[in-house]
Amino acid sequence: MTVLQAVMLGMIYFLGNSALIAGPIGYYTFYRPLVAGFLTGLVLGDPVTGTIVGATINLMYIGFIAAGGALPGDPCLAGVLGTALAITSHLDTQAAVAIAVPLGLLGTLIWFGRLTISAFFAHRADKYAVEGESSKIWLMNVLAPQSLIFLMTFVPVTLAALYGTSSVANVINLLGGNVLHILIVVGGMMPALGIGLNLRAIYKGETRIFFFLGFLITVYFNLTMISIGFLSVCIALIYMQLTERRESNAV
Amino acid sequence: MQSNIAENAAIKGSTEENGKLNRKDIVKSWLTWLFFNQGCYNYERMQGVGFCHAMVPIINKLYKDKSEEKSKALQRHLGFFNTEPNFGAPIVGLTVAMEEERANGADISDDAINSVKTGLMGPIAGIGDTVIQGVLVPLLLAFGIGLSTEGNLMGPILYIILVSTIVLGISYIGFMQGYKKGRDAIISFLQSGVINKVVTGAGIIGCIVLGALVANYVSLSTPVILTIGQQQVGLQEKLLDVILPKALPLGITYLTYKLLDKGFTSIKVMLMIIATGIVGGLLGIF
Repeated sequence: MTVLQAVMLGMIYFLGNSALIAGPIGYYTFYRPLVAGFLTGLVLGDPVTGTIVGATINLMYIGFIAAGGALPGDPCLAGVLGTALAITSHLDTQAAVAIAVPLGLLGTLIWFGRLTISAFFAHRADKYAVEGESSKIWLMNVLAPQSLIFLMTFVPVTLAALYGTSSVANVINLLGGNVLHILIVVGGMMPALGIGLNLRAIYKGETRIFFFLGFLITVYFNLTMISIGFLSVCIALIYMQLTERRESNAV
Repeated sequence: MQSNIAENAAIKGSTEENGKLNRKDIVKSWLTWLFFNQGCYNYERMQGVGFCHAMVPIINKLYKDKSEEKSKALQRHLGFFNTEPNFGAPIVGLTVAMEEERANGADISDDAINSVKTGLMGPIAGIGDTVIQGVLVPLLLAFGIGLSTEGNLMGPILYIILVSTIVLGISYIGFMQGYKKGRDAIISFLQSGVINKVVTGAGIIGCIVLGALVANYVSLSTPVILTIGQQQVGLQEKLLDVILPKALPLGITYLTYKLLDKGFTSIKVMLMIIATGIVGGLLGIF
């Protein structure tokens, strides 16, 4: 990995965390391993592998909900570093997932630090408000906190990409086949956690049976995600038409 | 939507005198909210500074420089605020409208503005998080991932285009509707059956897709071979694959869900998965 590549990976992670790509647009694109992995792959000259690894890591974060500032891991950190690791060390995709996800936990420290320190900027904004200095509010809502985010995200990821990925790969190679096998088993199970988290948000009441329906028709008919997507829209519409008819008959 | 914008521009557009907002002010406020609602996200105020920042173009237009009212208005919007930023955009639009009426002499107290903001932010966060983070984004991700795991670069690209368009649309339309239609319209929309129908329909689609994700992407199998009399029987090939292939992925996912539902944190569950993988891998169960 060249210094320039490491710097660009640091920038991807910073942009994923910053508000600079239209706030929520950045949060729903660069911050997601599907996109971050693709971009990391572009930087490292292998966008196809980057996309595959990023997508696989993203399964773990598919039900990622940051509600009220609580964060279950850091998808962007896992996406960038996990993909970089897989590409530079030719590590198996599942094994890269197994390493990337715990790595993502470290990202919550960055998140916690930034939300704690940024409260200080809110107090500076209070001062400007009392003075009626409306033109200075952006200093405390953009310049200062975004600079802080830059320091807290760009620096660690650039360093980790530059020095970390090769040493992690060396350690795994040293430990040998058994460790690799365990990593692949763990990585294979990880998406269960992402799906479980998402189920908590939507697996309720009458919709429960549809989870099993989706599972069974996919297993028995070997369906792709796109085909199951279109089918699911039809199934939902049929179900809602039937329940509507039942309700109007009851009245 | 086009005609609504034109209509809005016709009503608001040409008036330039103090105390009146034009379309440019409103769009500036929306863009500031879109970009920087979490610009200074922090544990004490959450999106509070972002809300105030979005009100700056409005406050600058409505109140004279260095005036008492201007300082009061800035302080009014620096308090705690937290919602789902895109579904919550109507709250900002609505606040813009209230500030405008107030500056033009309507009897709207600080408390009235505050209670509208804090009263709406909770319910809208609940609905918005469920619809956007709980269903919409996972669905789009599932399709993107479905394409991408085969190495198709259109996976991430299509995902970026779809998610950006939808989120921008929700934010922009919501903001403008909040500004034009006001508080009662937002509340009656929240209380109408539309939201419930969307949530139910989206929940069904979401559950089917999650089931499909388990089948396609959670991988767990066992190399265990049972010896029955003289026969060697592979547990995976001769039993699980015949009855229900992917039974183990379904089991581990359901167990994960149950643990989370019982209140285990995601970190604890992750550690359990890692421990299961280590023990199972070493003992040759997986």
